[in-house]
Amino acid sequence: MTSDDALVTRRETDRAMLRELAAMSPDDPGRASLRDRIVTSHIPLVVAMAQRFRDRGEPLDDVIQVGTVGLIHAVDRFDPDRGVEFSTFATPTIIGEIKRHFRDRGWTIRVPRRLQELRMQVNSVTERLTSELGRSPTVREIASAAGISEDDVLDAIESSQAYSTLSLDGGDDDDGPILGDALGESDEGLEYVELRETVRPLLESLPARERRIVMMRFYENKTQSEIATEMGISQMHVSRLLAKSLASMRGSIGDD
Amino acid sequence: MSDVPLIELRVPVDPASVSVVRTSVASLAARFDFTLDRLDDLRLATNEACALLLALGEPAGPTLIASVESPGEDTLRVDLCRAGSSTRLPGEESFAWTVLHALVDSVEVRDADDMVHLVLTASANAVEPA
Repeated sequence: MTSDDALVTRRETDRAMLRELAAMSPDDPGRASLRDRIVTSHIPLVVAMAQRFRDRGEPLDDVIQVGTVGLIHAVDRFDPDRGVEFSTFATPTIIGEIKRHFRDRGWTIRVPRRLQELRMQVNSVTERLTSELGRSPTVREIASAAGISEDDVLDAIESSQAYSTLSLDGGDDDDGPILGDALGESDEGLEYVELRETVRPLLESLPARERRIVMMRFYENKTQSEIATEMGISQMHVSRLLAKSLASMRGSIGDD
Repeated sequence: MSDVPLIELRVPVDPASVSVVRTSVASLAARFDFTLDRLDDLRLATNEACALLLALGEPAGPTLIASVESPGEDTLRVDLCRAGSSTRLPGEESFAWTVLHALVDSVEVRDADDMVHLVLTASANAVEPA
């Protein structure tokens, strides 16, 4: 058998496994091991992408690990009936997870590695559950899906806010393009009649994305999950930006 | 179900105390099966309410008291208080109140025995649409 043949055979096997997984019911006992095999088989894809980020000062292993989380998401969401190759489908998810990792590394105070990993894990489980349940999950649900304790989930949530009470300056995590930046920015918020004169300058002092999030949460009454979906960022990121914005606005108000 | 507080914390009036209060409230909310959205809203609200009380300044008391009770199966009431008077709080039309009202089901301000109370009520609301 030539190496080309081997490659073709492997692709066929991958396709067959993905079809099988998609056809399985969620509680099929064979599901977990099949899913593992598919993920393992696609690790080289993650490695290739992780290489592209090797000069960013993060250990390659970490980047691969993060990318693998993206891969797992992709496996869970892939629909073979759409006629798209899995690798095409998975690439943006993997890259997205890696980019988010770099973006989220902007801790203002040092957060222990265990917490950073927990936070990432909780983040991805939260996103999955939110789309599966059609609502924001409870801590109990997240803990059980991630196989960690409820205290771990709470630690992760708290750690994601690590700097919210300390940092009044912010301006740390705006690198890297995200969907939210690409969305058209309308200043509709500033038309709200109930906005008091004192609030307006404070809102205007926030970066555009933060201002938009504050408006959506406090004046349009959207939930954090809804905002997360609309902006293409994680719920935790929304939470963090909200906390940061409030702290920064409070800091300004406190001066009077 | 009862009016016996689930927790009662007495902490120094200091920004460092806020995380203790916030974390305790969040952990209770988790036990009451708050969705992450609601839990985080309550956390943020607790943070903001503490900030309002912290900002009262002198001559307010040195202790912040946080007590949480559950008036209903999936509801938590967070009572934050310290010595002082509500007249020193920002007006109801300020942004701080807009924020609090958006984050929790209800916010009450009460003066009792020379203490000013901010009482936040929030429910788990596990069925909200995403």
